[in-house]
Amino acid sequence: MAYVIAEPCIGVKDKACVEVCPMDCIHGTDADAMLYIDPEECIDCDACVPVCPVEAIFSEAQVPEKWQHFVRVNSDYFKGKR
Amino acid sequence: MWQTKPVKPRSYRIVGPQQQVDERTTPHPRVERGELGDRLLNWRKTRAGQDPFRRIFGVGGGDPNNCLQLIMKKAPEGAVNPTPAPIPEPTEMARRIKEVARFFGADVVGICHLDQAYVYSHRAKANPAAGEKVGDPVHVPHRYAVCLGFSSDYYRFLSNNSRISDAEYGLGNQRMIPTTFMLASYIREMGYPAQSHDYSKGFVNPIPLAVNAGLGELGRHGMLIHEEYGSRIHLSVVTTDLPLAVDEPIDIGVEEVCKYCMKCARTCPSKSIPFGGKEVVKGVEKYRINVDSCYKYRLAGRDKWTNCVICVSSCCYNKPTAWWHTLAIKSIVWTPIPLRVLVVKPLLWIDDLFWGKRPWKHMKWLGYDNAPEPAICTTPGCQVKHTNLQHKPLHDPKQAAKASLSRASVSP
Repeated sequence: MAYVIAEPCIGVKDKACVEVCPMDCIHGTDADAMLYIDPEECIDCDACVPVCPVEAIFSEAQVPEKWQHFVRVNSDYFKGKR
Repeated sequence: MWQTKPVKPRSYRIVGPQQQVDERTTPHPRVERGELGDRLLNWRKTRAGQDPFRRIFGVGGGDPNNCLQLIMKKAPEGAVNPTPAPIPEPTEMARRIKEVARFFGADVVGICHLDQAYVYSHRAKANPAAGEKVGDPVHVPHRYAVCLGFSSDYYRFLSNNSRISDAEYGLGNQRMIPTTFMLASYIREMGYPAQSHDYSKGFVNPIPLAVNAGLGELGRHGMLIHEEYGSRIHLSVVTTDLPLAVDEPIDIGVEEVCKYCMKCARTCPSKSIPFGGKEVVKGVEKYRINVDSCYKYRLAGRDKWTNCVICVSSCCYNKPTAWWHTLAIKSIVWTPIPLRVLVVKPLLWIDDLFWGKRPWKHMKWLGYDNAPEPAICTTPGCQVKHTNLQHKPLHDPKQAAKASLSRASVSP
C-alpha cells in the first residue's frame, strides 16, 4: 500500500509535501500537471497528508471513489523511469 | 506485619487482559518473510555493504564467524551446578548480583518479577544447534528478571542518520552479549537456573521488564527513558530462579514530560510517533507507535545507515552526564505531580533554546563524516526540489490533528 495524489493537486503543485517526505518519493516536472508519489518508495508515514493545502493526498485504501483511477495514474508515472 | 502498597509504573497502565506476543509478529521476522515488501526484504539481506562495522555487527553480508552476535546465537546454555552454593537472604543476594552485573560490564541493573505477559509465546528464529525450530512454543518458567542496561555515547548518537551513530548503535547491541551470558553463567554456577536474553538470542521483551525493575519509564517513543542516559541505553535480561529482592518502578517525571514535550514526534522523519494521547494496545494503555513506517524508514538510509535513532537523540532526557541535567530531572521529581507542569514547560523551553528543536551534531570520526549531503533524485526528469533531512520542516501537532479530523469526517 502507498499514498496517492489525486485530482485536487492538478494545477496547484504546492510542493509542501515534497519538503516533508522523508523518502523523497514525490516527484514531478514543471511540465506535469500534478505531482506523483512513487508507490515503491512510499513508506505510508502520512507526513505529506497534513501539509497538503488542497487535501489531495490519500492512503490507497481511502482514495474517494471518484478519484480511484489516480492510484493507477501515480504508479504509471514511474513506469520505465526506474 | 506492616506492608507498603506495591508501586505501579506511571508511564503505562494495564487496563485489560494482557496477551503474550508471538515473536513471529515482531518487525524483523515480518520483514524476513517479505510482509513489509520486497524492497525491505532485499535490503535486509544486502544492507551490510562493505562497511566493516556493519559487517561485524551482524547486519548481513559479513562472515558469520566475524560476528559476535551470530557466534553467540549458537552458543549453548551451560548446565546448572548440581551443588548449590549457600546464598544470603534475597536483599543481600540482589545487591551482590547487581554488583556482579556491573563488574561484568553493565551500566545499570534492576530486578523485577518475571511477568509471563512479557515472554514471547512462540519463537521466530530457528536454532539448529539446539534443535529448535521456528514456531516452537517458548517456555521461560523463571521467577525473576535481572534487567541490564548498557549506555551508548551521547555525541555519536547525536550524529544520527550516519555511519557514526550506526556504529555506536551496533556496538551497544554487541556489548550486552558477553555481560549477559556471563551473568547467567555465574548464576548457573551458583546452582540456580538462569537464561540470558540479549541481542544474540532472547525470548522476553526487555522494555516493560526494565520499567518494572525501576531502570526508567516508558516514553512516548515506545522506549525506556533512563534518568541519566535517556533512551540511549540497550537492554538485556537474565531470567532466573535465584531468590532475589525485587526493585520497584520509579517516577522520573516521564509521564508529564512526554505529555508536553513531543520532541520525538516532531522530529521523527517517518512520523511514526503519535502527537495524541495514549491508546490501549493488547491490554496496556500506552502511546502507540507506527512500527511499520518506523521500520520502512530504514530504506531512506540509501546504504549509508541502517538505524535512525533520531527519537533517541532528540529526547530531552538524552543529555551528557552533567550536574545541570541531574538538577533538571530532580527538580521535576521533587515537585508534586499536579504542579509538575509548572516546572516541565520552562525546562522544555530551555531545552529547545540550548539544544535545538532538532538536536543533531556534525561529526567526523575514523574518516566518516556526517555532513548533510544534497538530496539526490533518481527519477529521470524530476524537477521538484528535494531537501536534506536537516532542512525538512518539523512535524506540526496542529496539522496532524487537523488531518486526523479531516480523515475521520470522510471515512465511512
